[in-house]
Amino acid sequence: MKDILLDVKAVSKRFGGVAALKGIDLIQHRGETLGMIGPNGSGKTTFVNVISGHTKPNAGSVSFDGHSLSGSNPFQIAKSGLTRTYQAVRVFGELTVRENVATALVDARDAASPDAVAEIADWLRISHRFDARAGSLTLMEQRQVELLMRLVQKPKLMMLDEPVGGLSSAEVRIMIGVLSELKGRCTIFVIEHTMKVIRELADKVVVLMAGEKLAEGPPAQILSDQRVIDQYLGTADA
Amino acid sequence: MTTVAETKDPSPRSIGHGLPLACFAAVAFATPFLLSGNRYLAFVAGVTMIHILWASGMNLLYGYTGLMPLMFAGLAGISAYMVVGLTAAGWSFWLALPVGALAASIAGTILGLPSLRLKGFYFTLCSLVIQTVVTLAFVYFSGLTNGDTGISQIPLPSFAGTPLSGLAYDLVLAASAVIGVVILMVIVQSTLGRRLIAIREDDELAGMLGINVTGYKMIAFFIGSLFAGIGGALYAPYIGFISPRSFDVLISMNIWLMVAFGGRGTIWGPVIGAVLLAPLSFLLQEYYTVKDVLYGLLIIVVIVAMPGGIAGGFKRKRREAAAPVDVAASRRSVK
Ligand SMILES: Nc1ncnc2c1ncn2[C@@H]1O[C@H](COP(=O)(O)OP(=O)(O)OP(=O)(O)O)[C@@H](O)[C@H]1O
Ligand SMILES: [Mg+2]
Repeated sequence: MKDILLDVKAVSKRFGGVAALKGIDLIQHRGETLGMIGPNGSGKTTFVNVISGHTKPNAGSVSFDGHSLSGSNPFQIAKSGLTRTYQAVRVFGELTVRENVATALVDARDAASPDAVAEIADWLRISHRFDARAGSLTLMEQRQVELLMRLVQKPKLMMLDEPVGGLSSAEVRIMIGVLSELKGRCTIFVIEHTMKVIRELADKVVVLMAGEKLAEGPPAQILSDQRVIDQYLGTADA
Repeated sequence: MTTVAETKDPSPRSIGHGLPLACFAAVAFATPFLLSGNRYLAFVAGVTMIHILWASGMNLLYGYTGLMPLMFAGLAGISAYMVVGLTAAGWSFWLALPVGALAASIAGTILGLPSLRLKGFYFTLCSLVIQTVVTLAFVYFSGLTNGDTGISQIPLPSFAGTPLSGLAYDLVLAASAVIGVVILMVIVQSTLGRRLIAIREDDELAGMLGINVTGYKMIAFFIGSLFAGIGGALYAPYIGFISPRSFDVLISMNIWLMVAFGGRGTIWGPVIGAVLLAPLSFLLQEYYTVKDVLYGLLIIVVIVAMPGGIAGGFKRKRREAAAPVDVAASRRSVK
């Protein structure tokens, strides 16, 4: 657990007058599941956007698995083994699931073999939908396809932006099961409003508040922290 | 459930392309002979072949990569003027053609750079401005282009010392159309095609999956512009006359319409579009107003009523998308 995978130093990002991130420091070790919570608009998605190269930070540095990501394009960052999902599910809706997966394999850092793809698809219980148009799937199925497309690239780190957002409570339970098994396949960074997910999955939790890191620690400690309760949990449906 | 064995079968889609391709090639090569008694009809068919080549190049960019380059005709013009200039200076046409086409490719790649920043409609607007500037350049540099007057009496190229007959050149045009379609088919079935389709569908997601969006957009522009350039080089000696109007924005719109009307993102849709529309614009050449009104109406109809085009109409669901997929769906089911 002493092996540092993601090392974020003093990252700041502003949009015009809005300071979305204010000097965030964060360290994630290999194999450690890191949860990020915070109220709406606190900068969680922006944080992931900065790490994955979608947004250029105004200040600070990010290094991943010992290499600096500063100035890298999203595709280069992806090829270094860092992948992410989107808060609003995102697949190639006009293409079939099979074509979605094939697209993920084309420029993968380390493309999974056909057998490995089949194994992952079976594990995600999405094999039977391979010939369906991805846009015609249910939200849950699209989330499964998203995970499949990431996993066939054998990433080192997967950043999940609200992976149970919009799912029914039965689906949330299934997804929590999937994510806890996912921990055996790659390191996970997960943004969630649903505390159940954080409580069951995270080894460490970071709380963002108006672009600043308010607290950091094990879930049990963070979720009982008075400041976090006052400023966030008190208002959230935890 | 799909089994591994099933997915390892030869792609049904590549077989599905084989028969139409054979038919198309047969018709393309037979037409010059069948129409050899009627020079006018043979000529219309030849012009259609050039438009099939152009439409295939436009289809690569618009249909498969999701870019709408309205400077397409301008690129063809760059190549045409260059080839005419070089042959007038004593070059062999067959040497001038690749040079002119390459010039169009390089110009297209550079003029396509704004697409790296501008999305969708904004790039289209930008390409419209670029096309206008290119047309103005054709008028302005009259030392090279003879300005608005244009260059006439461009001779058909020779081969092995003797000038090509009309029939022989018609066959060259047929070959270029067939080769153009074959190259597009090969690209679409390759991993390059898969990347371009990913960029068309969602370029940010494509980048997140490790696809070099910038690089592949430029490759698409290079290849698409090569189609434009080869078509332009073949067009000049066939018509025997070129002027800035031969390569203006209306021609770009025309080629775009062939792709959109026929069915973008399918191999055969734009070919059908070219076969239907290229002769039409030629036959209506004398009736400007009728032609313009007809085209305006067609553009509206395509945009409003049939965004998938003719081919998209009956194969909306089963989009023609890249390579045979080498992905096994399920391991459990093989057991
Ligand atoms: N592209 C952008 N342009 C301008 N402002 C932005 C942009 N992206 C985010 N912001 C602003 O930055 C702040 C942080 O937004 P962000 O989406 O990161 O929050 P979040 O923590 O993910 O919220 P949520 O829980 O609702 O997903 C917000 O005030 C938002 O309005
Ligand atoms: Mg968010």
